[in-house]
Amino acid sequence: MNGAVSTTIIVAGLALAGYALLMTALNKPMGYPLLAAVGVLEILLLVEVGIIVDKLADGGHPAQLPTLIGYLCATPLIPVAAAFWGMVDRSRWGPAVIAAAGIVAAVLMVRLHQIWPAIRV
Amino acid sequence: MSEPTATPEPTASPEPGTSQPDSTRTGPGRLLVAIYALFALAATARAGVQIGTKFGHAPVAYLLSAFAGVVYIVATVTLAIGSPAARRIAVLSCSVELAGVLAVGTWSIADPASFPDATVWSGYGSGYGFVPLVLPVFGLLWLRHWARRAKTGERP
Repeated sequence: MNGAVSTTIIVAGLALAGYALLMTALNKPMGYPLLAAVGVLEILLLVEVGIIVDKLADGGHPAQLPTLIGYLCATPLIPVAAAFWGMVDRSRWGPAVIAAAGIVAAVLMVRLHQIWPAIRV
Repeated sequence: MSEPTATPEPTASPEPGTSQPDSTRTGPGRLLVAIYALFALAATARAGVQIGTKFGHAPVAYLLSAFAGVVYIVATVTLAIGSPAARRIAVLSCSVELAGVLAVGTWSIADPASFPDATVWSGYGSGYGFVPLVLPVFGLLWLRHWARRAKTGERP
């Protein structure tokens, strides 16, 4: 079922980016609905990390283990950093950073799949 | 007497959204610094892993990736600082970056044998959605905007 989580993250990341870009276009700072959406993405990413760690614990051997571990550490930090900037920058550019984070989350899922095809997208 | 609730709240900036950011790291600069930070991390970490695990496989590509990572780190830090001196260094690093992505992009297409493994700048950054090609252009435009503001004697 790991493929479903990756796909959900891609859809959620792009949806978040669309929502955040709308806020940027409307010249609005980050509000609670956008912050909640970032929180949902964060939870999904943590679930994905958990699934991959579980696969590694089960004896999975990706070709590029150090790279994979790097991705596992860096990925959950992205929504946190974006939410932080959304709080600090009370202009339209807070949501713009969050839009970038949503797109990056989606791209990272594809990259993870390339690093270790056992993680199905 | 009109209803006070009917009139919009007067705010500090008369036109919302046109309030000037006060540093290279605020406003649109925040997005720029965020993307630069991401590329600094991605390029440096990738080069570190590649040099540490399989340097002999494609030394030129890995050293170029490491160099790109350092340039991204310098650009991130100097854009985030935003002082006049930092902006001069940022202009230099964005220029090196633009020259690098154009040179390495052309080199990687003309002589693919030199690049058995990709760098951030291979194929003009095609592996990264051409963001490495676009990023220095926006960086330089943003820095030029600030250089002009400094010249016309607005805020530093």
